[in-house]
Amino acid sequence: MNSPAASARDPQDYNTLDDDTFRITVRRWVEANYPPEIRNPPKRLHWHENKVWFFKLSEKGWLAPSWPREFGGMGLSSSKQLIMIEEFERHGCCRFNDHGVIMVGPLLIQHGTEAQKQHFLPKILSGEYIWCQGYSEPNAGSDLAALRTEAVLDGDHYVINGQKIWTTLAMDANWIFCLVRTDKNAKKQEGISFLLIPMDTPGITVRPIITLDMHDEFCETFFDNVRVPRENLVGQVNKGWTMAKALLGFERIFLGAPKQSQYALARLKQLAERMGVWEDESFQDRYVRLRLDIADLRELHATYVEIVRRGETLGPDVSQLKTWQTELFQRITELSLEIAGENAALLDPMEGNRELHPSGLYLQARPATIYGGSNEIQRNIVAKNVLELPDR
Amino acid sequence: MDAAEDRNESLRMLRDSAAAIAPRGGDLKRIRDLRFSEPGFDRAVWREICAMGWPGLRLAEDVGGSGLGMREFVALVEELGAGLVPEPLIPVAMAARLLPADHLASVLSGERIVIPAWQERPNSLDAVGGTTLSGGKVTGKKMFVPQAAGADAFLVTVQGGLALVQRDAPGVSLVLEQTQDGGNFGTLSLDGAPAEAIAGDASDALEEAALATSAYLLGAMDRAFAMTLDYMKTRQQFGRTIGSFQALQHRAVDLKIQISLTRASVEAAAATLDSVTVPALRQSAVSRAKARAAEASMLVTKQCIQLSGGIGYTDAYDVGLFLRKAMVLSNLYGSAALHRARYAAVTPEQDDE
Repeated sequence: MNSPAASARDPQDYNTLDDDTFRITVRRWVEANYPPEIRNPPKRLHWHENKVWFFKLSEKGWLAPSWPREFGGMGLSSSKQLIMIEEFERHGCCRFNDHGVIMVGPLLIQHGTEAQKQHFLPKILSGEYIWCQGYSEPNAGSDLAALRTEAVLDGDHYVINGQKIWTTLAMDANWIFCLVRTDKNAKKQEGISFLLIPMDTPGITVRPIITLDMHDEFCETFFDNVRVPRENLVGQVNKGWTMAKALLGFERIFLGAPKQSQYALARLKQLAERMGVWEDESFQDRYVRLRLDIADLRELHATYVEIVRRGETLGPDVSQLKTWQTELFQRITELSLEIAGENAALLDPMEGNRELHPSGLYLQARPATIYGGSNEIQRNIVAKNVLELPDR
Repeated sequence: MDAAEDRNESLRMLRDSAAAIAPRGGDLKRIRDLRFSEPGFDRAVWREICAMGWPGLRLAEDVGGSGLGMREFVALVEELGAGLVPEPLIPVAMAARLLPADHLASVLSGERIVIPAWQERPNSLDAVGGTTLSGGKVTGKKMFVPQAAGADAFLVTVQGGLALVQRDAPGVSLVLEQTQDGGNFGTLSLDGAPAEAIAGDASDALEEAALATSAYLLGAMDRAFAMTLDYMKTRQQFGRTIGSFQALQHRAVDLKIQISLTRASVEAAAATLDSVTVPALRQSAVSRAKARAAEASMLVTKQCIQLSGGIGYTDAYDVGLFLRKAMVLSNLYGSAALHRARYAAVTPEQDDE
């Protein structure tokens, strides 16, 4: 299904460049190589739409900035990684199917066996193996540790039964990395393991979920007596929870980046001009409030970026950033809907212009406060771990 | 990296030094006792503040200052805000930025208190107005002069410059009104009052005062919030600590987010004033910080009253002191609405990117 690319190793060690030179190098390369037709996509793209960008990065050796060079990564410092992300975002680069690079690779580099590293890492970089994530279940969302999909050892194989949900782009993937229960009697966090499973194993069924914005980004994935070799277990048995938590550390700073809100605000301005309310004083006051909310978000985000740049670990207070950004994003789309008048009802973009689609953006903004740990969970985290408020 | 670490270390030391005047977590008895008195602050404490060199923190060393930046000044003022220190550091530091070198010694020593009088109408950032100086006589009216009761002289903004007017000079009339925090505003009427002409323009010093006020509000709201968290951790109702209720926890987190945004905004604006000379960029940064600090401080202190329940409505409970301070300072040097409008006017859209 996926034609492996000639993934390459970039011979240059970019850590030797100063930050400005590196930034310019990245910017020039992105401008020359990024496919213009998929700039600023309004929705998450599928593999058949984004793989052209994946392969460009793979061929350049830039797919895995954080991986050590010995495994085919760029071995970049945190600050250089941030520069790459900033430049990609600045240009409006799409997200590709990146679970292999972001999650599975780092997991294997840290916890995998030699054989697992040799087998999987090159195939992640070449695009031969495309991954999806099997974490959430119908009864294990915010309370992820309550997951029940079970893996029972039978000779040299694990037999898996259960159901995963919100498996992003599972229909594009040929591998899934799963959290499964391997000990039903242990405390809930202590009976979970990490398994790698080929999607073409008999017994796996994938069903797309159509979301509120009529997109098929998510899936349900069912496991019915699925057998995988026991060597597909990563790390120690029953230690999956700790490994999974360590992988989530970085997520909240990305979900708190101002980019989403900035994009929505630019659409709001366009819409206000089109609707003839741009000059309204009452609109302007609401608009400048949103601008200021973004401006202060940018400064707050910068303080967390600085922590990462210094190579330090982000504390639980970063949950504030995700909470504020995602709710700000939603508020912007709510004002867009309000000023759009009857156009707010339209299923498709106004006048065929995909940048004038207030109802679409409004619906796309809904999950932001749910995914990556719902904002209620984020507030619980800050209340307990930052404000140190009591449990009883 | 070393220079940045040095600077952080000196910021820490400066914050620690503030404890001499505003002990962290100390009681607020001194502040209570000074409320609704004249001049509303303690002249002996003011001399101590001067001995620490704070009014001249921003001035060059060759005129008796410390040569430090806005980052240092806002760090210091934030600490004073946490202690609700009523001594007039922000206005006097503003005057010190404008006075010529030969007038500074007595002001920096605390011997004389000079307060700027720049405002002529409510809700305005016009640093000049219509007051005139002609033939050594100044005529006009200035309003909302902070802590005016303690002033020995006023540095009055006039068309084309500044005028130094002694409080007891003929033609000077000062009407005082008490403010909710226990301090006072003066309305200064000048009818051909003799004055010394001083060259200069108050507008940039006014930016610094507005930002410093934002930092004071930051310190005040942060302390009120910390006091409220302590209350939430100890107050029992229904057999539980009220801080264990999720509805209250989530509200507390929303207040914490506002405090974090204010801190990021104030510190970024201070860095801008230290490094950028373009007036529009300076105004943009200050307006962003003041708009946030004004609204956030009102929200946080108001919610701190609510979270404290009935006791929060008593004058004896300290959290109320912070709300009353926010009521005074949130609109001083420009309200949130005024600063939002100015932000929109001076900030090109692409700077948001």
